[in-house]
Amino acid sequence: MRIVISLILSLVTAAPAFAGVNVVATLPWIGSLAKEIGKDKVTVTTLVKPTQDPHMVDAKPSMLMAGRKADILMYNGLDLEVGYLPIILESSKNPRIVPGKPGNFDCSRFVRPIEQLTAVDRSMGDVHPLGNPHYHYSPGNILRVAEGMSNALADLDRANAEFYRANFGNFAAKVNERQKQWHAVNLKGKRFVAYHKLFEYLSKEFGFQLVGYVEAKPGIPPSAAHIKKLIGDMTHNKPDGILTTSYYGRKESESISAKTGVKVVLLPSDVGSMKGTDDWFAFMDSVLAALR
Amino acid sequence: MKQLLCLLGMALFCSFSVPASGQDTAERLNTLENSSRSQSVIIEEQQKAIEALKDEIAKQKNQEAGQISREESLSSSRVSGFFGGSVLTNPNISLLVDTFAYGSNLNNSELENRGIPGFTTLGKDAREGFNMGAAEDGVELFIFAPVDPYFNVYVNLPFSDEGVALEEAFAVTTALPEGFQAKLGKFKSNFSRINAQHPHAWDFFDIALPYRAFLGNEGSGGEKGMQFTWLPSLPFYTQLGAELLQGENDQLFGADARSGPHAFSVFVKGSFETTENSTLYFGPSVLFGKTRNSNIIADAEVDGRSALYGMEAFWKWKPSRSEGVTIQSEYLFLTQRCDVTDVAAETVESLRRHQDGFYLQGIYQSGRWRFGARYDTLELFADTFERADLQQDPGATPWRATGSVEFNPSEFSRIRLQYNHDRSGRDGTSNNEAILQFIFGIGAHAAHNF
Repeated sequence: MRIVISLILSLVTAAPAFAGVNVVATLPWIGSLAKEIGKDKVTVTTLVKPTQDPHMVDAKPSMLMAGRKADILMYNGLDLEVGYLPIILESSKNPRIVPGKPGNFDCSRFVRPIEQLTAVDRSMGDVHPLGNPHYHYSPGNILRVAEGMSNALADLDRANAEFYRANFGNFAAKVNERQKQWHAVNLKGKRFVAYHKLFEYLSKEFGFQLVGYVEAKPGIPPSAAHIKKLIGDMTHNKPDGILTTSYYGRKESESISAKTGVKVVLLPSDVGSMKGTDDWFAFMDSVLAALR
Repeated sequence: MKQLLCLLGMALFCSFSVPASGQDTAERLNTLENSSRSQSVIIEEQQKAIEALKDEIAKQKNQEAGQISREESLSSSRVSGFFGGSVLTNPNISLLVDTFAYGSNLNNSELENRGIPGFTTLGKDAREGFNMGAAEDGVELFIFAPVDPYFNVYVNLPFSDEGVALEEAFAVTTALPEGFQAKLGKFKSNFSRINAQHPHAWDFFDIALPYRAFLGNEGSGGEKGMQFTWLPSLPFYTQLGAELLQGENDQLFGADARSGPHAFSVFVKGSFETTENSTLYFGPSVLFGKTRNSNIIADAEVDGRSALYGMEAFWKWKPSRSEGVTIQSEYLFLTQRCDVTDVAAETVESLRRHQDGFYLQGIYQSGRWRFGARYDTLELFADTFERADLQQDPGATPWRATGSVEFNPSEFSRIRLQYNHDRSGRDGTSNNEAILQFIFGIGAHAAHNF
């Protein structure tokens, strides 16, 4: 028994030495932003892989272990992680990251959500009443999230407060510079069909139209009748493309493309989900390059 | 070591660089430049926001007076809480409706009397035709919310034809340091794997045979007591737990035992990732205490001590949202030493049991479909059942084979067709049962445990 206890104790003390603020991010884009703001003063662990659908992730013990050691947990919010975030918050048994503590960082607090629904029920599918949660496609909102993040890190790690604020300054300058490039492509007047309700912020900020959805109701596979009608409409209207991501509805979109001649436009779903999307800037670059 | 390196680095740095004060000024200049840049960006952003707000005000003026803008009315619900959704004064509420049709080659009175001789005298819950609820709970009401920054509360109230029961009502701490957590109130024990799961979350319509034999149709059920768990900060997941329970389960323990609390459990849960997309879970546990009930031997009361040892193993492969495999197995072993009082003859004899049970089950998911298979058996290695030091022969080895097909139209509804070939009656007869089950969930989205 004594051997077991000493073994456990030696393992506890042998845990990796603390290096900076321990940031745990649910989604890859959040991790990428945390690295931009925290640089070498933070260690970032990302829970969801870029290839995973963030709506449908199963909580895993490795996520709890990450949460257990976190100084700050950063998440998307707007109910996107509702299937696994509550378990991470409660079962990782870490009082630093529970709601109300500075280590609980809900990125959506700094976002102006679109599509907030006042009258909603689940007959409409997997809807998010607090607003469309896919705001990582929106440079305007990301800028505000990054600012909030720099303040949160500055509060947690006061010694480096200026460092985080300065990094945000650089980040903001870079966003403004890139915004010119991103907006240089005129997407106004372009019309797309989308598989899932993922691209509404993009459409709003870059001025293209979303004229239809393959999924009639979010999160519920489309019926044959709906697909038939959509194909009819698309052959008639000839939109500029079908927007989808590799994890979600690619096969269905390709089969509709074959029947209508409308090309599939594959967009990265998150940072790191496609080649050349290693950080949030590269991710937005490739999104806009694909829409061109 | 690190400090030494730092010192060395600093020494090197100082010997090559300009005087430290010059470096400082340059750094400060840099910082100031950066912060002024960031401020100008913020000013730009705020100006944009001002423009947008002006536009909005103009728009609003055009709208009818008194109409609140949608953004404003919802801004209070922007902060997410523990349970992922909006922070409300009302607790999260969800409701499950479970209904099924049942068919068997046995009639209702045969089902009612179909216990497992040598294990339990309790019969089957299901009746021919239409039923509500796999464990007689047609409707389950869940209420959960944070109490304050220190506790979360969960309540589970199953409704049946007979009324409402208090299955679970407990608080969980959220503010204890160093990975400690306590649970208090009435809750399902975390002994082994299936025990803490709710009937609607089971992979099959009914509980595995070893659970039915040793704990009853719904496992141990809610027990009053306290639980302590600890998640040490190790490189791998290991949870240690202990429970102090009243011991009211009427199969393994008994509400009428003379003192309380008289049941205890200890468990360890471990896990590691076998590949990028697969995880293995395992752990031993034990549930022990005083036994006093009349559900083990017909027309006799059993009074003594029991210990139930469990070993769980669960492997899950989930490469994408549309595909997955789970394989799950548990082994339970019972030791029991009791006095048996025959109710009619009022004679007292000794009872000594060493019995075990095992099941293996697998689920394959493809899109909205799930296919399941299960095999469960009792008396795999141990079949000691000695009454007055004489080994009894209750009959053939009990076993059961199950196949199931599920269609889940959405995350909130489930349609399941299941077939059991059940030889647990030990009298040579088999119960061939077919179940068509529907489960619907409304209200707050509950997170899925692993």
